[in-house]
Amino acid sequence: MNERIKKPKRLGVSYAKWGYLFILPFFITYIVCTLTPQIMTIYNSFFENYRRGLSQVGPNFVGLENYVKLFTPDKTGSIDILKYFGNTMILWVLGAVPQIVVALLLAVFFTSYRLNLKGQQFFKTVIYMPNLIMASAFSMLFFTLFNIAGPVNQILKASGMIQESIDFLSLKVPVRLLISLMNFLMWFGNTTILLMAGIQGIDQNMFEAAEIDGANSLQVFFRVTLPLLSPILVYTVITAMIGGLQMFDVPQILTNGKGTPDRASMTMVMYLNNYLGGSKNYGMAGAVSVVLFVISSVLSLFVYNSLSRQYKDAPRKRDRV
Amino acid sequence: MKKLIALLLALVMVLALCACGDTKPEEPAGEPAGEPAAEPAAEPAAEPPAEGKVLNIYAWNEEFKGFFEKYYTVPEGVTVNWVITPSDNGAYQDKLTEALLNQATAADDEKIDMFLAEDDYILKYVDSEYTQDITAMGVTDFSSAYKYTVQAATDSKGAVKGVSFQCCPSALIYRRSIAKDVLGTDDPAEVQEQLNSWDKFNAVAATAKEKGYYMTGSFAETYRAFSNNCSGAWVDENNNLQFDPQIEAWIDQTDEFIKNGYTLTAGIWDQEKTDQMYADGKVMCFFGPAWYFNFCMSNAQDPEKGCYGDWAICEGPAAHYWGGTWLLAPAGTDNPTLVADIMNTFINNEEVCSALVKNENQFSNNMKVNAKFAEDPEYGNAFLGGQNDVAVFYGLTDKIKFENHTIYDQLLNEGIQNNLREYFQGTVDKETALANFYKFVNESYPDIVTP
Repeated sequence: MNERIKKPKRLGVSYAKWGYLFILPFFITYIVCTLTPQIMTIYNSFFENYRRGLSQVGPNFVGLENYVKLFTPDKTGSIDILKYFGNTMILWVLGAVPQIVVALLLAVFFTSYRLNLKGQQFFKTVIYMPNLIMASAFSMLFFTLFNIAGPVNQILKASGMIQESIDFLSLKVPVRLLISLMNFLMWFGNTTILLMAGIQGIDQNMFEAAEIDGANSLQVFFRVTLPLLSPILVYTVITAMIGGLQMFDVPQILTNGKGTPDRASMTMVMYLNNYLGGSKNYGMAGAVSVVLFVISSVLSLFVYNSLSRQYKDAPRKRDRV
Repeated sequence: MKKLIALLLALVMVLALCACGDTKPEEPAGEPAGEPAAEPAAEPAAEPPAEGKVLNIYAWNEEFKGFFEKYYTVPEGVTVNWVITPSDNGAYQDKLTEALLNQATAADDEKIDMFLAEDDYILKYVDSEYTQDITAMGVTDFSSAYKYTVQAATDSKGAVKGVSFQCCPSALIYRRSIAKDVLGTDDPAEVQEQLNSWDKFNAVAATAKEKGYYMTGSFAETYRAFSNNCSGAWVDENNNLQFDPQIEAWIDQTDEFIKNGYTLTAGIWDQEKTDQMYADGKVMCFFGPAWYFNFCMSNAQDPEKGCYGDWAICEGPAAHYWGGTWLLAPAGTDNPTLVADIMNTFINNEEVCSALVKNENQFSNNMKVNAKFAEDPEYGNAFLGGQNDVAVFYGLTDKIKFENHTIYDQLLNEGIQNNLREYFQGTVDKETALANFYKFVNESYPDIVTP
């Protein structure tokens, strides 16, 4: 019996190996450039490994000591790494929530055949523009603008709104808002384009059917667009979140690497970078990256599960369509 | 055939992708653990003619580059390649260290041939195997150079690894017109009489405030005047962080100055401070060595808004020095004779040293040249209203002590100023500011024990 079934299989043409061959480059690159460094980072985090002046200390195996150090509370009882994680999340939420809301609105407007906006190409280009500027240049620009001797202070002073210059960059709330604003400006265009693609992928019949059934535009948005958009939306939120957890360049340049004031704008990756600064401390930096990796994974899973469960049925239906 | 092409294409793609993947920033994977296999031995005079055609010089700003291009003629056929990295957050040291560690394996034209270092971290490079003895390269005459400049470049075994092209006693630089208003005189000797101790300095600050002026323009203006007079180094032999009473004194003074409005809260390099050097500025005192005039006071020299000539210098409340740039010879340079010649030129060539003093407002590292200007009744610095600044600096050189240095100094000096600034600005209390400083120290140097 078996022989009989197997024989025709051999005669058939198998394209599978070509498939494997073509995806091979990706996997090789992935293993060489992402997986190996990742494993090395984890490996390094168990070692004492830094530079003292020009001489190397270690690598000496120290077990979990680096992690213990990371989670040891300081004299006031607060744990540094948790504080920086909190900072990162605050900065991300402040930027990402408006980013996704605005991007969703814009995407709906741009794709609405009833609005049929003129000059779409122009607007799409303009909102995408900030993303083309290097984050560091963008951040430098804001630093110059909001500097104590900068133009914003000069304008406010000249218009009589303030008497004394305000050092925005030494105040917690303005610094955090500026960082979030920059991230928002840089990324909402990108998100808009992604969501537009998502909405355009939805069958237009759905919208027409909803309208014929007498749904108003709010109902269409919440009952049709949003559920059908959820796979793309989940993707957008997760990538934005991973990007947000890795926030570095904007606050680093704006605060000149110090996370001022009182380390309130110090993000996880800036903290990691601090360890690489004076002494190339790969052990501690590795431990911070591993913590960051764990946090990103947990959060991504959480977001994925909660968002996709909500509309669990919707994407399946769409798939069938 | 098709298979072959497919395979080839796949390979090309893989290779292309791998080629791009090497620049990931924080990959610890490829880090060589130990010292480079072999220390490239300096081989002076062995084959003098076969020297490299590219002279790589590492620096953190353009200051020396300017003097070099003006006063040194590079032999024909040699290209000078400047690699300039700003020193903020230790970026220059990072780049330099990386290059020195790879020196042994670098191609000849990529090797560092000479690099610049500041007093704050010179020790780190001098006391290592990555720099070489310059006496073996042909720089042997240090008789005209100031002792401390040679001492700073001497390693623990007594080998001299570099020279400084400047000597940096730091003076109190004051605005003549403001001094007249506040102190009733702008004569350097009389001003010095009224400002020769910190008590007097603080008292004058109050008078200046009454008259509508600021005593200083930055919270860290007096930092070096205190920190240079510390009785011990930043860390002791057991690597414990030490807080010298002088640093405490600086904190107390700055605290008082800021509370009373005697100073601006700006950083030492900030535009807010340098704006005060214009003619309409309200700040009376700045502290700095000779390099300060050109490097930091371009606003004062502005032909329209500046106040050229309205300045003078005196010793001030505490003798100290600030900065200074050393030229160091890395091990393994392929241009030893040329490097030695450059070093000799900038300390022993009296013509060049005189030009540095006369044209560039520098205080050279050649005692004979400086003495000549100090004693010359004709010499006066127009920027300082004709005052003979060389004579003032000349008198200060004896008081310079190069001691109590560690390899950690730059980031510690930068860190204490940055972190305490938040306290001075009123953002955090003193305990938090110090705690943040200790955190910074722990992150930067795992081997230092903080309180």
